[in-house]
This record gives sequence, C-alpha cells and structure tokens, in this order.
Amino acid sequence: MSESLAGRAASEASVARPTWSVAGVRPGRTERPTNTAEVAQIMRDAAAAGESVIPTGAGTKLDWGNPPTSADVLLDLSALDGVREHAAGDLIATVGAGTPLSRLKEHVATAGQRLALDETIAGATVGGTLAANTSGPLRMLAGTMRDLLIGVTIVRADGVVAKAGGKVVKNVAGYDVGKLLVGSMGTLAVVTEATFRLHPVPQTRRWVTVAARDASHAAELARAVLHSQTVPAALEVDATGDGIEVAVLVEGRPEGVAGRTAVLSGLLPGATVDEEPPESWGRYPWADMSSTHLGIKVTFRLSGLADVIEAAGELGLRGSAGAGVAYVAMPADQDLTEIQARLTRLREAALRHGGSAVVLDAPTSVKPQLDLWGPVPGLELMRRVKDEFDPDHRLSPGRFVGGI
Amino acid sequence: MTDMDIRQMGAFDEHHPPDSDLLGDCVHCGFCLPTCPTYVLWGEEMDSPRGRLYLMKEGLEGEPMSDSMVQHWDSCLGCMSCVTACPSGVRYDTLIEQTRAQVERNHRRTPKEKALRALIFSIFPHPKRLRAMRGPLKLLQRTGLDRRLRSTGLLDRMAPHLAAMERLAPTITDADPLPELMPAVGERRASVGMLTGCVQGAFFPGVNAATARVLAAEGCDVVIPPSQGCCGALSVHNGREEEAQTYARRIIDTFEDAGVDHIVINAAGCGSTLKDYARLLADDPAYAAKAEAFEAKVRDIAEILDELGPVAERHPLDLTIAYHDACHLAHAQGVRSQPRALLRGIPGVELREIAEGEICCGSAGIYNILNPEPARELGERKARNIVATGAEVLVTANPGCLLQVASSIAAQGHRLGMAHLVEVLDASISGSSPEELRTRTI
Amino acid sequence: MGLPADVETTGATPLEILIQRARELLPEEGVITDRARLRTYECDGLAHYRVTPALVVIPETAEQLAGIVRCCAEQQIPYVARGSGTGLSGGSLPHAEGVLVVTSRLRAIKEVRRDDQRAVVEPGVINLDVTRASTPDGYYYAPDPSSQQVCSIGGNVAENSGGAHCLKYGFTTNHVLAAEFVTAEGEQVRLGGDAPDSPGYDLLGAVVGSEGTLGIVTEVTVRLVRLPEKVVTLLVGFDSTDRAGAAVSAIIAAGIVPAAIEMMDALAIEAAEAAVACNYPDGAGAVLVIELDGPATEVDAEYADVVRLCEETGAFELRTAQTPEERVLIWKGRKSAFAAVGRISPDYIVQDGVIPRTALPEVLRAIADLSERSGVRVANVFHAGDGNLHPLVLFDDAVPGAGEAAEAVSRGILDLCLQHGGSITGEHGVGADKAAHMPKMYAAEDLDTMQLIRCAFDPDRISNPGKVFPTPRLCGERPGRRQGAHPLQEAGVAEVF
Repeated sequence: MSESLAGRAASEASVARPTWSVAGVRPGRTERPTNTAEVAQIMRDAAAAGESVIPTGAGTKLDWGNPPTSADVLLDLSALDGVREHAAGDLIATVGAGTPLSRLKEHVATAGQRLALDETIAGATVGGTLAANTSGPLRMLAGTMRDLLIGVTIVRADGVVAKAGGKVVKNVAGYDVGKLLVGSMGTLAVVTEATFRLHPVPQTRRWVTVAARDASHAAELARAVLHSQTVPAALEVDATGDGIEVAVLVEGRPEGVAGRTAVLSGLLPGATVDEEPPESWGRYPWADMSSTHLGIKVTFRLSGLADVIEAAGELGLRGSAGAGVAYVAMPADQDLTEIQARLTRLREAALRHGGSAVVLDAPTSVKPQLDLWGPVPGLELMRRVKDEFDPDHRLSPGRFVGGI
Repeated sequence: MTDMDIRQMGAFDEHHPPDSDLLGDCVHCGFCLPTCPTYVLWGEEMDSPRGRLYLMKEGLEGEPMSDSMVQHWDSCLGCMSCVTACPSGVRYDTLIEQTRAQVERNHRRTPKEKALRALIFSIFPHPKRLRAMRGPLKLLQRTGLDRRLRSTGLLDRMAPHLAAMERLAPTITDADPLPELMPAVGERRASVGMLTGCVQGAFFPGVNAATARVLAAEGCDVVIPPSQGCCGALSVHNGREEEAQTYARRIIDTFEDAGVDHIVINAAGCGSTLKDYARLLADDPAYAAKAEAFEAKVRDIAEILDELGPVAERHPLDLTIAYHDACHLAHAQGVRSQPRALLRGIPGVELREIAEGEICCGSAGIYNILNPEPARELGERKARNIVATGAEVLVTANPGCLLQVASSIAAQGHRLGMAHLVEVLDASISGSSPEELRTRTI
Repeated sequence: MGLPADVETTGATPLEILIQRARELLPEEGVITDRARLRTYECDGLAHYRVTPALVVIPETAEQLAGIVRCCAEQQIPYVARGSGTGLSGGSLPHAEGVLVVTSRLRAIKEVRRDDQRAVVEPGVINLDVTRASTPDGYYYAPDPSSQQVCSIGGNVAENSGGAHCLKYGFTTNHVLAAEFVTAEGEQVRLGGDAPDSPGYDLLGAVVGSEGTLGIVTEVTVRLVRLPEKVVTLLVGFDSTDRAGAAVSAIIAAGIVPAAIEMMDALAIEAAEAAVACNYPDGAGAVLVIELDGPATEVDAEYADVVRLCEETGAFELRTAQTPEERVLIWKGRKSAFAAVGRISPDYIVQDGVIPRTALPEVLRAIADLSERSGVRVANVFHAGDGNLHPLVLFDDAVPGAGEAAEAVSRGILDLCLQHGGSITGEHGVGADKAAHMPKMYAAEDLDTMQLIRCAFDPDRISNPGKVFPTPRLCGERPGRRQGAHPLQEAGVAEVF
C-alpha cells in the first residue's frame, strides 16, 4: 500500500527550493511578499516599470504551459500561507494562496472536515492548484476547484486589490470572478487569498477494485457502476502495460458503505474490497517515471472511455472514468514526429468524444514544436477578457492558450 | 382609477367588468404558463392565463378593447387548468367569463365570425336539432343551411367532428327512452335528479342509460324530467350571458319540484356551469336564492358515487384503462381522485396515467370549431400521449373530449376502445364482457 | 460601431430598422409591436417594476436570435433576454427603448444521453421538463428552484438558480457543462464542452449567473444525476426557531449532508395552514422539513442519526414520509409558503438574503427585534442548511406609509445579512431590484473588477443594461491608467469599506 498523499506532501514541502525557471525561462528577480498589501505594492511598481510578473506558489507546475514571453519578476507567494479562518459550523475555510494544500487539509481535518479535492502533486499550494485547476479522483463527488471556491481576494495587474464572492456558499450577487481565475495559469490576476466550502470527512471509505479484460470491458464495468445506485465518490480506470484496472471508491456511514460495496461486488465480479486505495490512486501516471516525459490531460464524454483507452494504446492512461478526465504519460525520448503523431491520435479521439487533449507538461526542447491545447473554442472572447484584466500583457505573458 | 375613467377610456362597460380585486390576486408568478394549452402551443405571454389577465388589467387601466386583446381572450379554451395550477387562488374562470360577456357586448366582430357563432348557437344548445344532425347531410339539406354553412367554412371545420359522431353513434345501441323515474335497487340511499345534457343525450344515449342504471344499482331513486333543455354551458363559455341565464332559469324550474337530494350530471362541461348558477343569476332577485340552493345540490356522477360508496357488486373486468381528465371536471370542479378511485374499485382494471394529463385535448366546448388549427394540434398531442400508455380503453367523462380525441387517434391510425366512466361501471355491475368496451372503437 | 449607411439615406430610426430586420428574420407572429401585446411583457415575476418594451421578438432558432442581436449591436439598441418571466429580482425587466428577446419558443430537448449523463436543451425548455425527459432513464436534473415547473433553463443559467436541494447537489453553475452563446455582437460562440475542463478560461463560469448582461445562451448542455434509490422526508416540530436551529447545527456537525433542510417559523406555518391545510404539528414555533436521499442503506443509517439528533435538541413531534404521496403532503406546506402568505396579509415583500448558517439564531432574533420595533410582521421561510433566508415582510398597501415601513424592514434584513458576512441574494439575483445594494456588499474595486468582464463581453453595454450594477464606468477607460479616486467614489455612488 502506498503512503498517504498528505504524508508524502508534508515531507516534500520542506525540500529546499531549486533555482526556479518558468518552462525554461529564467526570471529576472524573485519577490516574496508576505501579505496582500505587499503584493499590491509589487504589482503597482511592476505596472509603473512595465515589468512582467509570474506568480507562483510552491513552484510545482512552473514548467506547465508555454514558456513565458517575458519574466521580469517571479512573484513567490509561498509566504502568504496560513489558514486565516476555519468556520467549522459553516463548513468554510479561508486560506492564504501560498498555503500548501496538505496544510489546509490537516487543519480542517481536526474538525472532521476536508477540502474534497485531491492533492495530485505533492507540496502544491492552494493558489497553484487554483491557477492550474488540478484535480483527482474525488472530482466525481465534489467537482473541482471551480465547484469548491466560494470567494477570492485578488491583486490585479494594475495593483488594485479586489474581492469576489464571499464567505457563504450560496451567493449570486454579481459575476463569479473566481470561476474565471480557476485554471487561468496566473494570466488574469494574482490570487492572494481564497475561501472554500468544506465537506465532512466520511466515517468509512472502501475501494472496490477489479481487473478488466480490455478497453471495452472496462467501459462496460464503468457504465454498470455509473448506472447503479451506489453513488461512488470516485470511479477510476488505470490502463497500463500490465492490464486495465477499474477502481471504485465509496464513502459514507459504515452500514451504508457495507451495503454499497456488496452491490458493487455483484456488479464487478472478481472484485476485491480494500480499506486503502490502490497504489496508483490520484497520481499522475508520469509521477513515478524517471525518464523525461510529456504529461497529457485527456477529457471525453463518459461514453467515449473505451475509444480513448484504445487511442492511448501502449502509453496507458489513468484517471476518472466517472468524470471523463484522464492522464497519459508519453516518453519524450523519441522522434518528434512520433510524439506529434501520438498526440494527434489522442486529440482526435478526445475531440470525437466532445473533449480535448492538453499537454500539461513537456520538456522545453519539445514544447515549442507542439500545439499544447488543440482547438480552443471561444478564444477571441478569452483574449478580450485578458485585454481587460491585463491590457499590457504583463501577467504570465504567453503561458496560456493562444499565446495569452 | 374611478368608474368614470373606466367607462370613458377603458375596454369595458360598467356591467360586471373583470373584477379588479380578483385580478389583484395575481402575483405574476407564471405557474399557470405551462398548464395553458395555447401557451404550450405558441409560447406567447398574451396567449397564457397570466397574459390574458394582464390584458384585462390593461383594459381596466384605460387601454381600449383592441382586436388583439379580443383575439387572445378568444383563443382561451376555458379549460381552467390554470385555476388548478394557481398557488394564489386567482379566479381566472370568473374573470374570463366576465371578460367574454364584455367582448360580446363591446367588440365588433366581422360578419363571417358573427355568422359562424350564430349558426353554432342555433344548433348545439338544442338537443332536438343536434339529434337531427346525426344524419348531418340530411339535416343540412332539410334545413337549407348548407349554403350558409359552406360560406362560413363551418362544414369543413365540423366535418371531422360530425364524422366522429356519425361513426360513434351506431355502435351504441339506441337505448329505450329513459323513464321519468327509475327506482332504487334494494335499500334506497338517496333521491337524485338526472340531467341528460345536449350532446350526451343526442349522441351518447347509452351513457345516460348507464348513468341511470348505475345510480339505481347503488341505491338511488333516479328522477329524469323530460324536455330539460340546455344548461347554458356553451353560452356562458362564449360570453352569451343573457342566453345562458334564460337556460339556467329553465333548468332550475324543471328540477324545482322534483324534491331530490342531489342533481347529477355526467357531462363535465355542463357540471361546471351548473355549479356556477349562483354567480350567473346573482343579479336576478327572483332566482338568486333558488340558484344558490340548486347549485349546492349539483354533483358529478363520479362525485356522488364516491360519496355514497359502493354497494352494488363489481364483477371483474380484465382491462387496461387510460383515464383522461376532462378539463371541466378536473380543473373547473376539482374532480380528479374520485373517477380514478371508482375505476380502481373494479377488480381486474389496471389504470394508466396519461403524460401531460393537465393539458386540454383541444375540444373545449365549441373551441375546436371556432379555432380548428390549435384544436387539431392539441388533439394530436393528446392522442399521442394516450396511445403511448398502451391502454386498451380510453375512459373520460365528457362527450366533447371523447369526440375530439377519437378523431385524432383514428387519424394517427390507432384503435382504442372509448367509454364514459359510467359505462365501465355499468359493465362491471351488470357483469358484461370487457370485450364490448375494448372493441368500441371509432 | 457606426450606423449603417441606409439610416442616413432612408431616414429610418434605428428601432424601425430593427423592426424591419426582425420581420425579415422571424415569422410574423414572432415580432410584436402592438401596444396591448407589448404591455403583457412589461414585468416578470417581480411585478412592481414595469417597463413597456419598444419591441418584443420571439425567435424560433438560434440563428434568428443571433440575427436580432447583431442588428441591435449595429443599431446600438439595448436588448433584454427573457425566458418564462418568473424571476423575482426584475432581471428581465424590459428596456423602454429596447427589444425584449423571448426564448419561450426555443424549447426543444435535443438530446438525453443516459450513458454520458448529459442532456442538451434549448434555453426555453422548462426546468422540470428536463427531469421529466430523463426520469425514464433513471436520471434527473438536480437544480430545483421552487418555480421549477415553469422557469426556463435559460433563465436558470442567467440567474444561477438554486433550490431546496442545492445544499447537497449544488447550483446551476455546477450542472451546466456547455452552452451555445450569442455575444453582444451577435456572434455565436461555444462555451465549455461536453467533457469537463474545456481548455482556456472558464467563460461559461462567468456567464452563468451574469443575469443576461453578458449575452444570451441558445443551447445548454446539462449534467444529469442518477435518481436516488431512496428518499425519506421528515417533518419535525419544535417549540422555537432556536431549537430548530440547534437541530440543524447538530445534523451538520454529525457529518450529514441532507438533500434539503428547510425551516418555517410560526407565522409562516400559520399562512401555509390557511392556504393548503398542510396539517403541520400543532403549536409549533418552527418546523423543519428534512430530506435524505441516496443509496437505501446509507439513507437508513443517516435517518436513524437525524431522528436521534432532532429528539436530543427538543423536537416534540416527528413525522416521516415513506411514500411519494406522503412526501408531497409534507412539501406542500413549504412550497406553498410564498403564495400562502397572501392569505394572512394583503401585500408582502419576498426578501432573499444569505448568512453563515451558524449566525441563524442571532439573525432571527435581530429580525424579530426589527419587526417588533417597526410593527411590521415578518414570516420566515428559509433554506436552513445553507443559511439562505426568505423573510416575508407583510404589509397592507391600503394603509398610508405601510409600504415604506415594509421596505425599510426589508432593507434592514439585508443589512443584517451583510453585517454577518453574508450576501444580498442567494438565488433570486440582483436584477433591477438590488443593483443599488451592490456597493454595500462590494467595494468599488470589486465592482470595477466585475466590470472588466462586462467590458470584455459587452463593451457597448447593450445586453440587459441597468441591471446588477449601479452606474458603472465606461469600458474605454483602462484599468491601471486611472489616477486618484475611483469614479464611483467621486460620484458618491460607492464607498470603500
């Protein structure tokens, strides 16, 4: 059994920071503010000087996205850490953007609560997770950052401090600025504080795991689970050279979970029931590779699972069959044309099923030769949003879709 | 706004304009919209109950009565589905009737419209003329109406209707004329007067006969006064207030001396009008009190049978039945559970619900003749939903619905048994074969 | 954006040009210019705001709708979208010089795909009809605003509608995956995707809940949720709202997330009894309607805990519905509450505010104080699980000054919500009704940031102008180049706190 994600995160968060580069680009200097007001001052100064700014947290995903076209200031937000408020009775918590996700989780766990979002990269901060919109198996239950974030404090490119949303889960006053920031890769504004809705920690968790014969069998099993009355918290598929595994997580009260695992065991003949997750649970498939690789995120309609697994072929694939999001690791030490061909094959399968194939991470030698995102519907509107928030294109310039 | 203002600039005269207090009950929530057949068809605010009420309000606030207003009030089927749906208890039924009376007085209709309406009202409320129309062409030739009819397009519009009547009527064996009194079987539990209705009496005499038999079997002395005349329903629903009042007085007179506990009706459209006589005659000092007393005695056949509870033995009927709520029963009178309970009380009967059950079939009195296009669309929609139940027999409690739905189902190439609720009960009590109901197709 | 040349040559007004274009694009009955008809569109579910639109169009296709918006952009004519017209904040209140674009004829359910757990519908489709279409497959559409039998999906998207069951299942924004969208320039753009996490900015996340100020959706892809295996509904009587509130806290603290927890106080119960004879527990100072749903074994386990917690916190009566009929009976009183208040008061204001749930007892006491001091009666109905209050402020408009007094109490309740860190609206939206309250909840900088989104989507501000925001800055004015105080501050419209 694997050590828990939280434990692994805690041990890696304290590792000394390497000399950072942003997808191969060395920043001019690093600023490490300790509060929102200092961030605002840095941003105002940068605005006055016309400097570009790249916000970062623990730096775990600085290689993601395109190399920035300019990187005058690396804005290290790791000192904006700490849980500002945890209103257990209201199931909300407000934290500094630089707080490691694991620390937030440990804090709220003392009240029997959790942020229902997996830490897929050890040591990642709240702000980085928000900006990159990473998620894991639990997204089937509770969605992603966009579904859990209820309020943010931001510093705009012009240094203005603004808030959006609030501290209540239910709120429809004004635009949901937070949603725009989720997954924006630091190109719209700097998030300095965020408020989340929390969920109670379930009393019992059980993993029901079964081997599938092939891609279509895996899809068939997944479909049976989806249409069942077992309300899984997660439904994962893990296709590797060793075969395909389908794993279901059920959470709840002991009696309830017992009943549901019994039903699942019937639906998935030959399944085993465990109290611990499978080893690969919530880990990107490239996380354990020693060689250089591309990390690709593939999304698809639920009914497209078999087709996408087949398109991944011998590369394998791991992710949520219940949400239609999976990850593929592709070795980088091969011919560029082969990489492009394989990416195209994956992308075509994803597009056929209403999704996309996005290259999250790739060696800087390969990246410039690849279309990282594929087609981006609504790109013109996105450019206009960028132009309004950051008219001089100084925030993480060039890292995002369409050169935003 | 004062009365003077309304007279001078509004859409209505001072004789019962739509009641502004009743209009004030509408909070504009829109819950009526999806239950309104014309809104379902067209998706327009002004062809919804909320929109029609708003047009009334505009009229009270000084807008003149325009052709567009009248058009939208005219297109209301009067199904009263909105009355059931309204959480605020708005009396749309009262308001639309008040408005229609105003329209008849204050709106100039085209000569063609007028001729059509005049013709309808010269035929439908008169049981004898209607009976004669069972051979419609004969009637047309004999009365010399055919040329006038053609010029109004009435013949085309009525053709499917008449054709359905023609095909339906012969399958029902002509019942013997009903006696004036049918005594209770066994212990007498109530004395009831029975209304025979216009369309029911003319085209479905079997339904009246079955009604009398079932009532008698359930322990009722059944009094059936001859030559009752029309109850005034069609006139009320189309703003012909005075005509309706005349009919109402005659009905009240007819039953006044019968000394019955209840007055029973098996046609939903008639029932809802009978239950509103007090308001219709409220301004008539000689009849106001009588109308109230009369109204209190009126029961739909399903209501009275449910109230009394069964005593006659039910023999099994192995049938799947789709029960269609007639608007004037379900919405105007709130009678929904009783017919279902009565059907479920028959051993062997499997009851199926019709999707979009609250939406009118498009018959709506004479609406299908005045507004053939929406009526056809609604009829087809209803027919599809009925066929989808897979039931063998369609049961309803209103002759208009039966005619409307029958022609739509036939047009879609399906066959379904058709019966009035009371015919099914009659078959069960008498122990006859379900086959007869199953094959009563049109 | 200049006016086309034919304006100068023909002398037609922009509105006349739009009407002509509409007649070319739409069937005859889809273009409404007749005054009596136009007036039936002058208000939505919040009927005391009324504006007669200059034109109403009812397109039947997305292309027709886009064509109308394109012409509006060319002619600089404001437009307002409207679905079923049931909103409670005046969000679809027409613009006097503008066109009202009604989506009630865009009502096709295009697809129900069970294996993808998706449905694709047009914006005029009624919320409950999505569920009706999915139920045969064992699925339903989770967001259930109390107007679900009439409100449209397009309106739900605009308002980010919630409902009694959003405590567990989330709001519209959590259930909308993709949309075909017509921008304020009349371009048709796809936002989001059938699969989650569409690349790029989450524009759809910004559009949902934007109250029609960013554009109009012409097709919506929604997530379908498996129908629960078991549903149990409880009606629990308490002698006070304090005790009922304690029960809610205890349930949440026990780690239970019910599908719904609704509370009604004594006055609201009185109204519901008068209207629908719902037979709620005699002498109750408050009732809770608690619904649990999910796998049968899970629901049974939670049910036992909920019953115990209610008893421990002083419930004096507890009823459980096990059949759909019994469930309907329990919900009847709650669902009729708004309309039912009409039975105990000639006029009333429905307020919508949010507080942190734990502030419930304190805020309810403060509302009671406010009511006592002003002599204005307030009935309380609310989604207790998420702190969404719906106080009903009762008055009689025939009494001089009563309306103003009620308005004052209603405003006071919003202030209480803000004092406790809450929101001025949890589900009804800001619309025309609460735009003036926005600066109380948000600082000028916050509102200014929201305007950046508005400027990106609708730089000419022709899409539902005048809603949501108090007078905003012009879009040409670039952030970051501004010096000194915010224009809203200078104009005295907004304050910073």
